Amino acid sequence: MPAAPPKTARATPALLRDLRSLQVVVFHPDDADGHELISQLHRIGCQVRAFWPPQERLPDDAGLIFFAVRPDAMAVELAWLRRDPVPPVIAVVNYENPITIEAVLRLNALGIVASPVKSFGLLSAAVVALAQAERNQERERYVTKLEQRLSGLRKLAKAKTILMLSRAIGEEDAYRLIREQAMAKRVTTEEIADAIIKANEILAFEGKGS
Amino acid sequence: MAYDYGPSIVHSMRRRTRQSTNLMSNQTSAPIRVGMLFSETGVTSVIETSQRLGTLLAVEEINATSGIHGRELKLISYDPQSRPSAYRQLAEQLVVDDGVRVILGCYMSSTRKAVLPVLERWNALLMYPTLYEGFEYSRHVIYTGAAPNQNSVQLAEFMMRAFGSRVFMVGSDYLYPYESNRIMSDLILEGGGEKVAEVYLPLDAKREDFAAVVKRIKALQPDFVFSTVVGEGTAMLYQAYAEAGLDPLRMPIASLTTSEAEVQQMGAQFSGGHITSAPYFQSIDSDNNRRCVEAFHRRFGDDRVANQCWEAAYFQTHLLANAMRRVEPGDVEALLRVLPGAEFEAPQGRVRIDEHSHHTYLSPRIGRGDGNGQFEILEQARTWVRPDPYLVSHTLEDWSVRVKLQTA
Repeated sequence: MPAAPPKTARATPALLRDLRSLQVVVFHPDDADGHELISQLHRIGCQVRAFWPPQERLPDDAGLIFFAVRPDAMAVELAWLRRDPVPPVIAVVNYENPITIEAVLRLNALGIVASPVKSFGLLSAAVVALAQAERNQERERYVTKLEQRLSGLRKLAKAKTILMLSRAIGEEDAYRLIREQAMAKRVTTEEIADAIIKANEILAFEGKGS
Repeated sequence: MAYDYGPSIVHSMRRRTRQSTNLMSNQTSAPIRVGMLFSETGVTSVIETSQRLGTLLAVEEINATSGIHGRELKLISYDPQSRPSAYRQLAEQLVVDDGVRVILGCYMSSTRKAVLPVLERWNALLMYPTLYEGFEYSRHVIYTGAAPNQNSVQLAEFMMRAFGSRVFMVGSDYLYPYESNRIMSDLILEGGGEKVAEVYLPLDAKREDFAAVVKRIKALQPDFVFSTVVGEGTAMLYQAYAEAGLDPLRMPIASLTTSEAEVQQMGAQFSGGHITSAPYFQSIDSDNNRRCVEAFHRRFGDDRVANQCWEAAYFQTHLLANAMRRVEPGDVEALLRVLPGAEFEAPQGRVRIDEHSHHTYLSPRIGRGDGNGQFEILEQARTWVRPDPYLVSHTLEDWSVRVKLQTA
């Protein structure tokens, strides 16, 4: 008996609903395993394109990649691995030796499918990889936003210090000045802070600094 | 390599070079043994007994018409008592001790899942004559019951059109009801409807548990109830419904699993007005179905009822026999080459095993209990519907475009 699911609203996740429009790129040799992989992706209802050997270029609309890890085929420079964001990669492995595992790590794989490929488990691997990729992207965006905010706060603090020292005013007054300037010029406080810092650097060229 | 042939010298010589291990069986008139696993006891024994009888009927028909090129089809049958662990153990016994290559059987998904590893380890084949929740493909299984795109979508569309879109969901506490309710919820929400409650009861729930659920239904007054209760609980639910004075013609229970067998178990008077979606009802008005049901009654008694699971069990056995006539009967790989794509004139109409998914093209129908143990067929699909077991999001729009029900 499986564990009971949440008993409240059970709307199907968008990720699952979108599977049928998902463009899947398969880098796998044209063999029985490759056919099993593609057949199951077709059963699930994905749009599939298969290539071998791995290509340097990736179709623009690729949403998920299955990649058969063959060390001899890894010599190709896979420019798309540096694309941002890169679609999630699921490695299809037939060996578990360190060379193969190292290749899997280089692919930044978000999932593993073992050869011989079985129909069972592919759907879960695909959905988990897609969900992880989405989460990773969200985290990236969040980190970028935090970095920008942090840098803004640092600038603001520095600008306030410059004003406080040069005009002998308190912190609150310094901040008010910056904000008034920003409102008058219709720019962000961060930009004003930036201008103050730059101006101060020029005025303080003698090396005294603020 | 799908050609028909009778036993001939040329044929057996050709085979000798190809498959010397099968030479012995090819030349003998020894029976071909096929395994059968349907529970004769336990919570789902009523419906599984009807599946067993459907299989028996088909096997007797096959043997009456010279079997598999003169060889008798012989069933080796055990009672797995509605318990997944027993299914697993008996499947292993069938394959390992009895030397069976093909098993006909299973009802609940949990029992099919229990058998899967055995099939894969010993390269055996299961033919599974039961509707289920989809999301499975094993090359070792042929699925002859309905997938959700062949019964759930049709049921949701019909119920919302005929009764409204406020639904109360009640089900047995296991995977099939969860997944069926997920699909139904999607369809209802998409149609602008509302789920007023979703309740699960254990498989061995008691009469008073169902009375409590019916009390809630009465209080909430939905447009209809969607039941995925299976086994003995079905009877208790419908009985409690009637005892509470709820009117099925105004607010029916809609189900995918309440067939003639469950109706007989609960008492026909409790089923009047309730709705079931299935590819087969005993009342189907066709020569083929009448002939089949008559044969069934002659053999097993007039008090037996046919139903969707009985029919799937019946036609899948014929599909298997036809495949065994085309290739070496004990060779699973060979059977797996000819079963996909195979067609059969079943009691419901023509059916076909899909090459890609191993599921079956079936003809959806909507039936309403007539109060005498049978269903009046209200609507039926114009053509068979391709099985789509991995369809995550069903939409009513798709359905109305692809296959519209028409008044029967």
